[in-house]
Amino acid sequence: MSVIETRDLTYTYPGVTKPSIEEVSVTINKGDFVILTGPSGCGKTTLCRCFNGLIPHFYNGDLEGKIEVAGLNVVDHQIHQIARHVGLVFQNPENQLFALSVEKDVAFGLENFAMPRDEMRKRVDWALQMAGISELSERPPHELSGGQQQRVAIASVLAMQPDIMVLDEPTSFLDPVGAEKIFEVINELNKKLGITIILVEHRLDLAAKYANHVIVMNKGKIALTGSPREIFTSEEARLIGVGIPKATKLYQHLKKHGIRLKAVPVTTEETADLLREILKND
Amino acid sequence: MSVFEGFKFRKVSSVVHDLDPRIKFFFVSVLFVMAILFTKLLALTVLFFIPLPFVFMAKVNRQWLRSLRGAAFLAIFIFATNFIFGYFSPASFQGITPPVDTLVEYLVLLERAAAMTLRFVVLIASFSVFFLTTSPDHLGLALQQSRIPYEFCFAFTTAVRFVPVLADEAQTIMDAQKARGLELERGNLLKRVKNYIPILIPLIVNAIRRSLELAESMESRAWGASEKRTNLYELKLKRADYILVLISVLMLLLAVYVWLYVSIPSLTTLLSL
Repeated sequence: MSVIETRDLTYTYPGVTKPSIEEVSVTINKGDFVILTGPSGCGKTTLCRCFNGLIPHFYNGDLEGKIEVAGLNVVDHQIHQIARHVGLVFQNPENQLFALSVEKDVAFGLENFAMPRDEMRKRVDWALQMAGISELSERPPHELSGGQQQRVAIASVLAMQPDIMVLDEPTSFLDPVGAEKIFEVINELNKKLGITIILVEHRLDLAAKYANHVIVMNKGKIALTGSPREIFTSEEARLIGVGIPKATKLYQHLKKHGIRLKAVPVTTEETADLLREILKND
Repeated sequence: MSVFEGFKFRKVSSVVHDLDPRIKFFFVSVLFVMAILFTKLLALTVLFFIPLPFVFMAKVNRQWLRSLRGAAFLAIFIFATNFIFGYFSPASFQGITPPVDTLVEYLVLLERAAAMTLRFVVLIASFSVFFLTTSPDHLGLALQQSRIPYEFCFAFTTAVRFVPVLADEAQTIMDAQKARGLELERGNLLKRVKNYIPILIPLIVNAIRRSLELAESMESRAWGASEKRTNLYELKLKRADYILVLISVLMLLLAVYVWLYVSIPSLTTLLSL
């Protein structure tokens, strides 16, 4: 069952002549873990903004084509109506936290929904626990590390219990350890709660193993879409400059030299297992 | 960036910190009214001691003294102007027949100037207790529960939240510009002010960009979804709050009574000079 469906979506920002995304048609199914990737400026962020109605409601501009998210026509619904179904996490953690304590920030969306206090308290505690930051609940956000801040941002979106979570390069301000932690949290939300994840990411080495669907954009258009193993081994992806995981690169390198692994690996562990098998057979 | 240190509010708990900000503000306002009612040095000295127990209970002695020290320059200024104006127009003072020439008359003038200065110090002393012991979060909540529109309260707490962030950013920009050869501490006053333009422009541009991202994030979290939003926290009056209300009201009544029926002697008459 699809939760996001776009047909020939074309959008031009106000005051610009060239559209930022052109004739984008994608289908995303419920429970998918999607990685959206492609070179900088290819329209990934613009597409994300369409998913929760920031485009066209916040940015105005010119939107053509059809877009339906969680059964709602984005053009006909207000951002706050769509926000019940779609949560957006942005790149810079600092600019999406506005309260003086972590728990107050997590409660922000629920306060907007006018949720009663007792229920809100439960939801906030639950979201903090899911994001693994219960012990930070009373700290001011500016005293936290980037990774912690980003987990607060995730918790604050999670508290609203969306069906879909869109994360726009959530780890680009973080160190590798912080990034890995974020991916683990996201993966848990996907596997345990069944939340559909759309992750915009360049660093696929860490994120690729969680995904079951990869979409590659290039110059405002959808270039490739398919399973991670299909995409990472395709010649086109390499030419566009997708950050193909090193494990998959090694697979192709070996293939060129006549060594065939049984499957296409995306993580170091998988590669190690496959290599061990081959070495045993020799 | 020591200027911004004061904005980094840390969560502290004490009897005084936990008081309802509205009640604390009422208490401080009563002190304010009392300081305006009385003009005699003796009465104002008594007033000065009233906030002291609160300072000690909240353990903010050091910060409190610092704010008093910060007010010292203004206090001296008030003392000097009062004395000088008193000297040139002494007719309005009791116990002085112009011109000012005897020792007693000088003492009357001095006492008057000291009283006016102390009145200012009392105001600073009591209001700084309020601000030192009230977290911005609490203050925002108090504003909200006083029926001030949420947009204003939100703007207030968000502004406080971003002070340290902007301070950090200003430091980064200064370092970057210095690395490119900008010399901030060079030239006369006008030149020095001009030196700060390459700091200010990126700071402002960044702040605008930041505010756009904030707006985007607020929208994504259902800003404006319902007419009347709820709040995670709620201020509830506790026993200590009621006690403070009682103290404030009693103080006010006593002050009005004294003001109406008791004539407070000035030091000069008390010492029967």
